[in-house]
Amino acid sequence: MVSAAEVAAMPWDSVVGRARGTSVTWLMWRGDPSINAYVDGWVAPRLRREYGVTLTAVDAQGAQILNQLVVEREAGRVPGTASLLWINGETFANLRKERLLAGPWSGRLPNAAFVDSASPIIARDFEQDPAGYESPWGAVQFALIYDSARTPAPPRTFAELRDWIRAHPGRFTHDQQFAGVTFLKALMYAEGGGVARFQGGFDSTRYAEGSARVWAWLDATRPYFWRQGKAYPQGVAELHRLFANGEVDFTMSNNQNEVVTKVRQGIFPPTARALLLRDGTIANAHFLGIPFNAPNPAGAMVVANFLLSPEAQLEKQKPDVWADGTVLALPRLPPEWRSRFEHLEQDPRQLPRDSLAKYARPEVAPEYHERIQADWRARVREGGT
Amino acid sequence: MTVGAGARRGGATRGALAAALVVAAPVALGVAYSTAGALGLAGAGAQGFTTERVARVLGERAVWAGVAWTAWVAAAATALAVAAAVLVAVAFRGAGRMDRVARALAVVPLPIPHIVAAATGVLILGQSGLLSRLGAALGLVHAPQDMPALVYDQWGLGLILSLAWKELPFLALVAMSLLATRGAALEEAAQTLGASRWATLARVTWPVLWRGLLPAAIAVFTFAFGSYEAAALLAPSHPLALPLLTLERYTDTDLARRGDAHVLTLLGLAAGAALVALHEWARARWEEP
Repeated sequence: MVSAAEVAAMPWDSVVGRARGTSVTWLMWRGDPSINAYVDGWVAPRLRREYGVTLTAVDAQGAQILNQLVVEREAGRVPGTASLLWINGETFANLRKERLLAGPWSGRLPNAAFVDSASPIIARDFEQDPAGYESPWGAVQFALIYDSARTPAPPRTFAELRDWIRAHPGRFTHDQQFAGVTFLKALMYAEGGGVARFQGGFDSTRYAEGSARVWAWLDATRPYFWRQGKAYPQGVAELHRLFANGEVDFTMSNNQNEVVTKVRQGIFPPTARALLLRDGTIANAHFLGIPFNAPNPAGAMVVANFLLSPEAQLEKQKPDVWADGTVLALPRLPPEWRSRFEHLEQDPRQLPRDSLAKYARPEVAPEYHERIQADWRARVREGGT
Repeated sequence: MTVGAGARRGGATRGALAAALVVAAPVALGVAYSTAGALGLAGAGAQGFTTERVARVLGERAVWAGVAWTAWVAAAATALAVAAAVLVAVAFRGAGRMDRVARALAVVPLPIPHIVAAATGVLILGQSGLLSRLGAALGLVHAPQDMPALVYDQWGLGLILSLAWKELPFLALVAMSLLATRGAALEEAAQTLGASRWATLARVTWPVLWRGLLPAAIAVFTFAFGSYEAAALLAPSHPLALPLLTLERYTDTDLARRGDAHVLTLLGLAAGAALVALHEWARARWEEP
């Protein structure tokens, strides 16, 4: 079996040649119909036509991906089943820790030349250097979602949000998974003296100070949460349902444009809008990796390169497709592509680019994510100390 | 017994044993892997043999709160489903059209997948669900918060109702066939010997039903105890039901905690096995001469 690093050393034409007539199994989160439609209905047919690569997307999220690869390694399964993985943040950290990723390879993709490598959001993954072991795919920013008909004057800062929650008992909550933890991290930045205090690797003293502010903020507001803060929706899908059914007045998303696609799908009311808190909201990128036992690293690289192409990135960013932000630097693109990105249809619900950039805050080391989630479970959810 | 019959029986026994092994092998493999995972010998984040993990997990309050809560929900759902099944079987045991219609209605949930039953529970019982909207139409409910919480609620009422509804047909079928096969002859004998209707019900019908239903009820309880999908949709975030806690640990961002899931899986298995053993013991006592 030829490893990903060996394939990456070959001239690109040979990589494309090796990939022709092969198939690629891609482990990815399959929870959003618009993402699935983009991958199955737009990406896959083009890969087959242009590169002779058959793409099969299979459902698995970050933690499950790691568990599956560990079991495959224990079973001595080489080659394994998947050649491409959709990952970021703590999953990337854990996969690297367990030596389950192949690489380096991502710098060898021809389209990597277009990547906005000057952006700290794209060039780093939760402060980690991708080091060629993952290739950026999209960039998103956390936003609250509200209904402008129900809440004409929404809060704009965490302090205002606290007052709003206290004035509207039972109308706010967050979920227990990724979006909810991202909300808590943004709260930690805001109450704990800004993101800069938490940058440069995990620091337990700074975490203790920052998280103490988070618990204090929650202690003051939690009794006014949905169900008095004694029950929380599992994931963001359940929170979306509570919002759509009018049980709460806010939901949230790691993608500032999710409101656009959800309105177009008829899941949220047309008056739903995204909202950035002025204290700053967390922006991050998501990536593609190749597992250590990938049966088809050449095919995986061809897919990753195609997904980085201006054509595929533009399609993905369209509001009626997925509205996922591009990782390409527009000034690096050929002029005709630049202008097509600049003239992308804007949905009135999309947030202006300049305010997105103004309030964007980077992710910090994955240990912060891990710790705040574990401590929230023990202190807040289980009502312990 | 002739030699030939003994040899045939030996062959049948070996065949049955082989079949039983095929059925048991995946479970045995799973138990072996989970034991290795619980002891730090396999799985994500494994660091070598240790009993520290088992001790830590078994010492956690959240674990025992989850076990107790899950046992409560499974027991309540089973009791409710058994009561409804007995009621249907006894009340509609005749051959009339009403009886047949009622018996058919009771088994309607049988082909419905468990996840659909749970989602139906959310749609009907949620604070913005059908029941709440009906209440709003009648002027009883003015905002979702006015509707009592039956989903994600502390007592798991929505979960209990959904599980009981889904399990009723299985238990009702068992109860009906018990009455049809074993009940009728014994009841007739009792009444011929002069027993009153109530005495027949209390001394014959009910014992036939509950002894016959017990294995099915245990199956329902262990299923409800380990069922993930219904709990994922209907259970509260605290206490966290054992199946939810197990998956949460298995996918924890902290690799060091993923092995906890193996301890929890074995704990769930032990609870089910203990219940089956208890039933075997009880049955052996009844069957003593």
